[in-house]
Amino acid sequence: MTTKDIGPKNPVEQGVTQLVDFVDERSGVKNSGRWLMFRNIPAGTSWFQTLGFTAMALFGMQAITGIILAMYYKPDPNTAFGSIASITNEVTWGWMVRGMHKWGASAMIVIVFLHMGRVFIWGAYKYPRELTWVTGAMLLLMTMFMGLTGYLLVWDQKAYWATVVAVNIFASAPILGPYIGDILRAGPEFGPDTLSRFYSIHMLLIPGGIATFIGLHLYFIIRLGISEPPWAKRALRVQRDEEDARRKAARDRQAGLKGSVSFPPAWVDDEQEVTR
Amino acid sequence: MKKADKVAYDKDYAAAKKDGKPFFPYAIYKDTIIAGLAILVVIVLAITVRVEMGEPVNPASTDFLPRPDWYFYFAFELLKIFANQNALTPVIMATFMVPNILIILLVIWPFIDRGPERRIWKRPFAMGTAVLVISGLCYLTFLGASTPEGIAKGETLPLTGLDAAASAGEAVYLANGCSSCHMIKGVGAPGPGPELTNEGVKGWDNAKMTQWMKAPLAPMPSFASLPPEDLDNLSIFLNGLGTKYK
Ligand code: HEM
Repeated sequence: MTTKDIGPKNPVEQGVTQLVDFVDERSGVKNSGRWLMFRNIPAGTSWFQTLGFTAMALFGMQAITGIILAMYYKPDPNTAFGSIASITNEVTWGWMVRGMHKWGASAMIVIVFLHMGRVFIWGAYKYPRELTWVTGAMLLLMTMFMGLTGYLLVWDQKAYWATVVAVNIFASAPILGPYIGDILRAGPEFGPDTLSRFYSIHMLLIPGGIATFIGLHLYFIIRLGISEPPWAKRALRVQRDEEDARRKAARDRQAGLKGSVSFPPAWVDDEQEVTR
Repeated sequence: MKKADKVAYDKDYAAAKKDGKPFFPYAIYKDTIIAGLAILVVIVLAITVRVEMGEPVNPASTDFLPRPDWYFYFAFELLKIFANQNALTPVIMATFMVPNILIILLVIWPFIDRGPERRIWKRPFAMGTAVLVISGLCYLTFLGASTPEGIAKGETLPLTGLDAAASAGEAVYLANGCSSCHMIKGVGAPGPGPELTNEGVKGWDNAKMTQWMKAPLAPMPSFASLPPEDLDNLSIFLNGLGTKYK
């Protein structure tokens, strides 16, 4: 992206420029990328509005650490516990990757809840962002479900029985419950197939769902723009101006009603206006 | 929202954008800092607070301690609140009604609260709901984190009048982790299962109790894998609680 031609470019730069131009010619990425990066956001956009991005970053970290764990994990009742033990005690940096995945799960839940709290308190779910909220609610549920399915994979006593209890709860729901129970357990009883089913749900089904819904969520966010904090300087100024206009109108109406004998006289208020 | 309110909002937002700043770098730098901090915290925790291994699963031993991860403690505590299988506090409230009502409310909230007002101090209803829900969840999570996990190894139940069969039943009860969900005379976890101190007063016969052990109502897991004589002794023990064995 040189503006002035100052002699021949270095060949690497030239190659990159050519590649970008080739792709741009066919996709138009340059324009949309520029639009995406340099479009305006409200000037008051605050630190609280970084939590959604942080949730996304944590999801990315979970994906990376999860992929590494999957290289060593063996989803079978006879080997699952041992493979986790070996990740924890033998594999180089294994304990670290496992620790990051485990703590990352908690961090993601905390951040998603904080993000939702910020959206709620600001009323950022109101027109026109209702569907952003709905896709976000789906993301919250899926994030929780990630925690539920991942917990079983360690295959220790605590996780096993907690999951037995949780699946029993799903299965006890009226009408659909028994079917949901069978789907989760891969049959009427907890067994080897249950573990591989939970593994598949945990590492393929729900992450796919989360990725899809993050896409939808972002589509709405980019299309509608990020909302302005309710206490942004500009918003407060507009509200004050509106308030003043309303008061002035009321005063004028009163003055009109009472003819020329208005009390208090108009100049009293005017003076207050000046001192404020 | 009324048509006029929508138009007014669109106009106001367009003005905010017009007065705005470019996304790059003004939003990106904040995003990067906070996301980087979050990842840093995770790495520090991973290094300082190691994730340990538990006991391997042994489906034959039901000596268990069903504890979910901390972010499900609130659901676990709900189970305790609605632990009793009676008309006032049925378990289905905790397993089905309350969670589903909360989920539906969560999803359709923007269609309930549709007024144009966004200022915090002008939305007492929404803020009241927020305070209620947040403090409720925090309180239940705290409760879940601070309740003891069942009983210590070697602890016994303060019961008198046990005969041979009932003593054997008590041993089965203690060996299979029943006390991580039930309480008898103050010993054991106060839920999610109901207290069993006076279980015998219900007047069930042993066949009915054995049947319950094999196929109980959720969230209790099945104990069908126990040997028949263990189930018999357990039933004798439970059916005498509060009547013969106090
Ligand atoms: C995996 C979970 C989630 C991710 C990755 C995510 C991501 C994002 C991002 C990047 C933004 C841009 C602004 C910001 O960072 O604050 C955003 C905005 C938003 N999110 Fe989420 N979000 C998630 C969960 C949720 C949940 C649970 C809700 C609510 C139920 C929600 C509702 C919204 C709404 C309404 C906006 C627009 C707010 C505005 O324009 O001010 N999101 N989200």
